[in-house]
Amino acid sequence: MTWEMLVFLFLASSALLSALWVISAKEIVHSVIGMATCFIAIACLFIMLNAEFVAIVQILVYVGAVTIVVLFGIMLTKREIMESERK
Amino acid sequence: MNLYQFCYGIVHWLVGLVNNIWYWLGDFLPWYFGDLFTAIGNFAASEGHLWFMTLLVESVVVVVIALINVLNFLWIFRKLSGRILDFYGPYYVGYRIGGWLQNLADGMKLFIKEIIVPTKADRLGFLLAPVIFVGSSLTILAVIPFSVDFGISTSESGEYVSAGALFALAAFSIAPFAILLAGWSSNNKYTLIGGMRSAAQMMSYEIPLILCAASVFLLAGSFNFVEIVDAQSGIWFFIPLFIGFVVFLICLMAEVEIIPFDLPEAEAELVEGWTTEYGGMRFGLFYMTTAVRSYAGGALATALFLGGWHGPSFLPDEIWFLIKAYIVFTVFMWLTWSVPRIRIDQMLVFGWRRLLPLAVLNLLIAAALKSGGWF
Repeated sequence: MTWEMLVFLFLASSALLSALWVISAKEIVHSVIGMATCFIAIACLFIMLNAEFVAIVQILVYVGAVTIVVLFGIMLTKREIMESERK
Repeated sequence: MNLYQFCYGIVHWLVGLVNNIWYWLGDFLPWYFGDLFTAIGNFAASEGHLWFMTLLVESVVVVVIALINVLNFLWIFRKLSGRILDFYGPYYVGYRIGGWLQNLADGMKLFIKEIIVPTKADRLGFLLAPVIFVGSSLTILAVIPFSVDFGISTSESGEYVSAGALFALAAFSIAPFAILLAGWSSNNKYTLIGGMRSAAQMMSYEIPLILCAASVFLLAGSFNFVEIVDAQSGIWFFIPLFIGFVVFLICLMAEVEIIPFDLPEAEAELVEGWTTEYGGMRFGLFYMTTAVRSYAGGALATALFLGGWHGPSFLPDEIWFLIKAYIVFTVFMWLTWSVPRIRIDQMLVFGWRRLLPLAVLNLLIAAALKSGGWF
């Protein structure tokens, strides 16, 4: 087993585990953290494939998308702040 | 000799020194332990281990240099605001060097403070947000070279990472996610509003920023920092692309959230913005990282528009690069204390209706210059 193989296994397993976390997390913002982890792990996989440009564009485009998803997650879900307002 | 070779020399020397102990133990100890220590020595002397340790040493060198520059920046910030607003600034701590040690004293004070996590905060997000913010901001520094020889991502042969400038912009764009996360997970109205404002601001100012950078990439014909700076050996890009330079600086100020654009942490409206619930060294990290980002922004503006390390040869290249970055930072500070903070609606109008058309115009000028054959 080479070092490259170890790094690949680490990145691939973190991408898969965080993808599982996206669909199983209770809080929507937690699943957004999982999504960001997944995208960054995939970007690192692209770097391992010597596709630097694709990796960088992956980060540039998808992390912006992640921020939008956080915004929607905040707007469409409730938290303690709202509860205390109602009382 | 470039930075890689220098650090490789240090690591090689250290490993040779430590390997004396391992090999001595290998000869000295009985059968099993002896083999084990010899194997450790062989592993330490292997090429892959040396390469990896060299990269670590390079990262430490670049981060330490960045942090020293950040201390200087914070000192300049305090002294210059004192000069402009008519007070002294830091004075007694480090009396002979103009109060330079005040920042170290403040950092030490923040280190010994208790770390408090609010009961109703979202623990995971609250603890993860500083990590993402600091990590992504320090990542920017990885690709910015001070000269042809002084950059972390040079290889042994002096070859440089191909899409470095794009990587720096990508690392810049991770921060809004961390800020929104911090604002949401603190479970506080002020932090949430601060985080929302920060996301809106960074998203809308990122577009003109990247368009201005794109005009530079168009003229230089490369994403590589070394080639971009080489393309400016005749004329620095801020002369043909003056509009783009001004728009780039304004967007950079919005990206690093200093005063005309510090709506996310407007002290008079939101208590301390999205950092309200953070105390102790976590707040210190946010404060320090903002300075790291303005340092990286100054370095980016220098490399893209101000001719990088070109300058008269009586000073080394690295010093010229730092001088230009400090000048950019000083201009930021000068604007900070001269202009009042803008309102949130004015900020969005300014970003989308003024800066974006100017950035597109700048891109057109760059395209015209390129197709006219001047570059």
